[in-house]
Amino acid sequence: MAESSARARRRDYSMFDAELSGAVLNLSLLRRLLRWMKPYRVTFGVSAILILLASTLQVLQPVIISVVVIDHIIRQETETLAPDLGMVELNDYLSGLLDVHPLLAACLLFAIVYIGWAVTGHAHRMTLISSVINGLRDLRQDLFRHLETRPSSFYDRVAVGRVMTRVTNDVEALYELLRGIGTLIGEFVPFFVALTIMLAIDVHLTLILLLVLPVMGSVTYFFRQATRQLFRLVRMSVSSLNQYMQENLAGLQVVQLSDRQAENLSRYTSINEENRRWELKSARLETLYGAFTDSMAHIALGVIIWYGGGEMVQGNMSLGGVILFTRFIDMLFHPIVVLGEQTNILFRAMASGERIFQALDWDEKIHEPSDPVTLPERLRGEVRFEHLDFGYDEDVRILHDVTFTIEPGEKLAIVGPTGSGKSTMIRLLGRFYDFDDGQIFLDGIDLNRIHTRDLRRRIGVVLQDFHIFSGTIYENIALGDPRITREMAIEAARRVNAHGFISTLPKGYDTELSERGQNLSQGQRQLLAFARVLAADPEILVLDEATASIDTETELLIQDALRKLTEGRTSILIAHRLQTIQEASRVLVLQNGRVEELGTHEELLAAGGLYHTLHSLQFQSEREQTD
Amino acid sequence: MLKSLFRLKGFVTPYRWRLGSGILAFGVARFFEALVPMLLAIGIDRIAAGNLDLLLPVAGIFAAVVGRFTVVSVARYLVRSSGIRVSFDLRQALFDALQHQGSSFFNRYTIGDMMTRAVADIALVQRLIAMGTILLVILVYATLIGFGFMLYLSPSLTLLLLPPLPFVFFYARWASHQMAVASKDVQDRMSDLADHVQENLSGIRTIQAMVQEDHEIARFLGTNQAYSNAFYQQARINSLMAAWMPTLAAVCSITIIGYGGYLVMEGELSAGQLVAFLMYVNMVVQPFRVAGFVISLFQRAAVASDRLFEVLSLHPEITDAPTGDAPSLIRGNIEIRNLSFTYPGYETPALSEIDLDIRQGERISIMGRVGSGKTTLLRQLVRLLDTPPGTVFIDGVDVTHYPLSQLRSQVALVPQDPFLFGEPLKSNLTYDDPNRALDQIWAAATSADLKETIEDFPEQLDTVVGERGVTLSGGQKQRATLARGLIRQAPVLVLDDCFSSVDTETEEHILSELSRLRRNQTTLLVSHRVSTARHSDRILIMDGGRIVEEGTHEELIRRGGLYAELERIQREGADETDYDFLGAPG
Repeated sequence: MAESSARARRRDYSMFDAELSGAVLNLSLLRRLLRWMKPYRVTFGVSAILILLASTLQVLQPVIISVVVIDHIIRQETETLAPDLGMVELNDYLSGLLDVHPLLAACLLFAIVYIGWAVTGHAHRMTLISSVINGLRDLRQDLFRHLETRPSSFYDRVAVGRVMTRVTNDVEALYELLRGIGTLIGEFVPFFVALTIMLAIDVHLTLILLLVLPVMGSVTYFFRQATRQLFRLVRMSVSSLNQYMQENLAGLQVVQLSDRQAENLSRYTSINEENRRWELKSARLETLYGAFTDSMAHIALGVIIWYGGGEMVQGNMSLGGVILFTRFIDMLFHPIVVLGEQTNILFRAMASGERIFQALDWDEKIHEPSDPVTLPERLRGEVRFEHLDFGYDEDVRILHDVTFTIEPGEKLAIVGPTGSGKSTMIRLLGRFYDFDDGQIFLDGIDLNRIHTRDLRRRIGVVLQDFHIFSGTIYENIALGDPRITREMAIEAARRVNAHGFISTLPKGYDTELSERGQNLSQGQRQLLAFARVLAADPEILVLDEATASIDTETELLIQDALRKLTEGRTSILIAHRLQTIQEASRVLVLQNGRVEELGTHEELLAAGGLYHTLHSLQFQSEREQTD
Repeated sequence: MLKSLFRLKGFVTPYRWRLGSGILAFGVARFFEALVPMLLAIGIDRIAAGNLDLLLPVAGIFAAVVGRFTVVSVARYLVRSSGIRVSFDLRQALFDALQHQGSSFFNRYTIGDMMTRAVADIALVQRLIAMGTILLVILVYATLIGFGFMLYLSPSLTLLLLPPLPFVFFYARWASHQMAVASKDVQDRMSDLADHVQENLSGIRTIQAMVQEDHEIARFLGTNQAYSNAFYQQARINSLMAAWMPTLAAVCSITIIGYGGYLVMEGELSAGQLVAFLMYVNMVVQPFRVAGFVISLFQRAAVASDRLFEVLSLHPEITDAPTGDAPSLIRGNIEIRNLSFTYPGYETPALSEIDLDIRQGERISIMGRVGSGKTTLLRQLVRLLDTPPGTVFIDGVDVTHYPLSQLRSQVALVPQDPFLFGEPLKSNLTYDDPNRALDQIWAAATSADLKETIEDFPEQLDTVVGERGVTLSGGQKQRATLARGLIRQAPVLVLDDCFSSVDTETEEHILSELSRLRRNQTTLLVSHRVSTARHSDRILIMDGGRIVEEGTHEELIRRGGLYAELERIQREGADETDYDFLGAPG
């Protein structure tokens, strides 16, 4: 275990920015992706059958017009030179059955085929999309579960924003990918069906027309190459535009106080000009390309007439055949255009896929005991550190031989300069990191033998920047624990002086808190965090006291609430305020990861050691007033 | 709707020739395009008759293609570039307008709202010009030219094709509305999902400490499913559209097969013309399909235009009208006479009848609870708020008589919120004047106790701060904004609660440095700590927008009022009775 955790700690997450392979088609990635589609493979299969059907029905529509109507009915050709897929016979049958003119029968036939196409096409798209949606939903859920259960050591190294985009943007790009693939299927299957029929009518003409494809393909390719770079520049300039404006608005007061309006406008102008330059450039390219693809289809019409005319005179083609070719042109060329449109999406999606699987491969975790101890209903709350050594990196030790005991119900204040290891100590107590050098005991039970889940239920943590969940205030206090009733939540809030501000809110305990609790002041958030801990009633309280000074009123409420919260509860307080320290039963002084001193406030002051120095430095002004 | 769009006139006028000629060129392009089916019909009919004289139709098609290609590329570019240019101008105007707004504007609008206007609303106007115009032009031209050719070929068949067209239009309009609703829903669900993930990952330590992982994973399934459902709904509407949109074209095709086929058999129409008809129907129906979309483009751009002009038509909140009687260098005597101020939209005044005299070189501390008017008072000094004339005088001259830039550079206000730009520290410290010398920067950093912090960064003064760079702690940010204020060596320095995240020791250190540096210069500072205020020449206690106590530390302690009480609480800690005293709800 020692080795593996050390390895995990050493792992480098700089690969966040690492170049991904960037291939358009990464087969191993697709294979891995297919694993999530597997449960929905039947739907997927049905969808594949439906697209074949729909494509055939799509191709039949021009066949009816050219072969049935023009060749068979109008020109009365007896010998069909173009494949009719049984439509001529079907039309004659219909006309006989209903006793109507063949033209009317053709109308009816066309209508039936059209409806059939519409229905099967819709069914195809819906079966495809539903299997994709379900598969991606599962993938996203698995990804979320995976990230939700990564340990703190993981989140120490990664930027939350970057991890977040894997669940949102990257999965989103996969939707785009699969949707893109769906579109391509919808274009290319009819393409091949049409191609088959064209080959059956006239191989030469078909091959001549196919010559256009490489031309279109390469123009499309070069266009996409050129625009990819341009689009990136456009996107970048747009985002710097937005960023500049956003920042300028957020800091407008500073801008105005510094009289920077004119300077900032000219800076904004240059970004805006840059954006305009790229926009105009890509507009120029895009308009050329758009006009080009339309033209190719029209040129093909000329080719068909020219060549088809000769073939017809020689008796190799019927008029309907020639017309059929003109009707197929779109089916032949459109897929190339669509393919061009989709490549950028494919590129981005492949990169996204790689990032998602990369995230799923981060396997760092906290080691859980194979045979966890069952904790008693209520712990006494004795905490003992024994010869604990710890470092986040192997070679940098943060804690050295930390040994001390906190008696049940005792209030211990930890003081020490920044970086002395205070936060690390409480993190280890919550087992947010694996440690193997030394031990921590809770009521005499080795922490490494308790499942982290059971352990953390017994330790209430209030961090400096306490997280507020979006939801109502009540939900934020109860945190989904069904044992905490509304009455209990209100009682807890009342005890820690949070009831006052909560009842002034328009909806009281049902007030929805916005993301990260922005509609609460810092002091109010602190009180709410207290209420949450008090309601959960853990045996041990861990508090990282906020450093920022708050207005005196709120400060008083917090101090009072803290007193009630620690009453009769084993408490470990990383203290920044003199009053908190003075009210603690003992003070532990930490320096460079070592326990320097431990004793009551008075004892340590009298001893004249490090605490004395720290105290006189840090609380000089406050002491001034006590003198 | 048209009235709203008409407001854009001023922005479009400079490009009217560009846009106009683009629109005209589109008509020519459509004509070229419409020639193709005609020529195709001739070709087919010649083939059908066994006549191999195909040069005219084939060469004609090629010529039409080349003509169309040239004209269309030019036309599209002219129109699109007009859109790009208009949006460039709009952005410039908006940025300029926003820079002159003040606090009452930001009370009404959020930054997010402004960003939406700058991004989405301008994009809508651009799309209207670049895309809406093109589509509208195509719609008109294609219909006119397409029908023209069809009428020429066969009036009776053309008339028979007319009735279904309005249906295309109405169906398209209905469908595009449905699609808009569905895609809005997808966006909303997506942003729920993003919020959910963001919230979870940023609170991951709390979640794990509170053993909430399973609960959160289950909750996420709900968000995830809601998004999937919305996405499915959108896909369904899109797919239905794709299936039924061509219906009307199909109805037209059936008409052509039936009636057109009959005409061909009667010899009134040729087979080639029948094929041409099929192509013209496509040409005419296609624009009708997008008609709904065009309408919605116009509607949305009208709303966007209203929203843009709501901001563009605002006047600067603070008027800069220097009278010329102000001295060029402020010495630092401040008089406030009977100053009352009420924020727009509020009933209770934020300041009532303030009278105050501050002599050059004095250090004044201001204390008071949240909302007592401290910040409002300080803002009046530099006219961040619309200071009423005849109330605030500096060196005997009304502040409204000073040029704004002089007032704000010689009265340096360091605001409460420590805002730093996402730029190198150096640019942040010299924000008002990027040309400051390096030793000046270091001197200010030293006074603000920021020197060692900067020296700890590998890139020193070139360290980029903020999201894209190094995240500073609250205290570091406050010290950096303080340094930004100190560097100006202004005759009057105003510090609005700039030490709240700085520890007391550092604060003491900075304050003693300040007393040394700012001898004979005026300093005003707001604080919550008695320890900060006690060494000032004078302490003001504000409550409910009034100055309720005024004097030195000793005087106020003797007086036994609010200040004395604050001092006692901060010294001894609170007891039960203090809650009653502070009126704090228990």
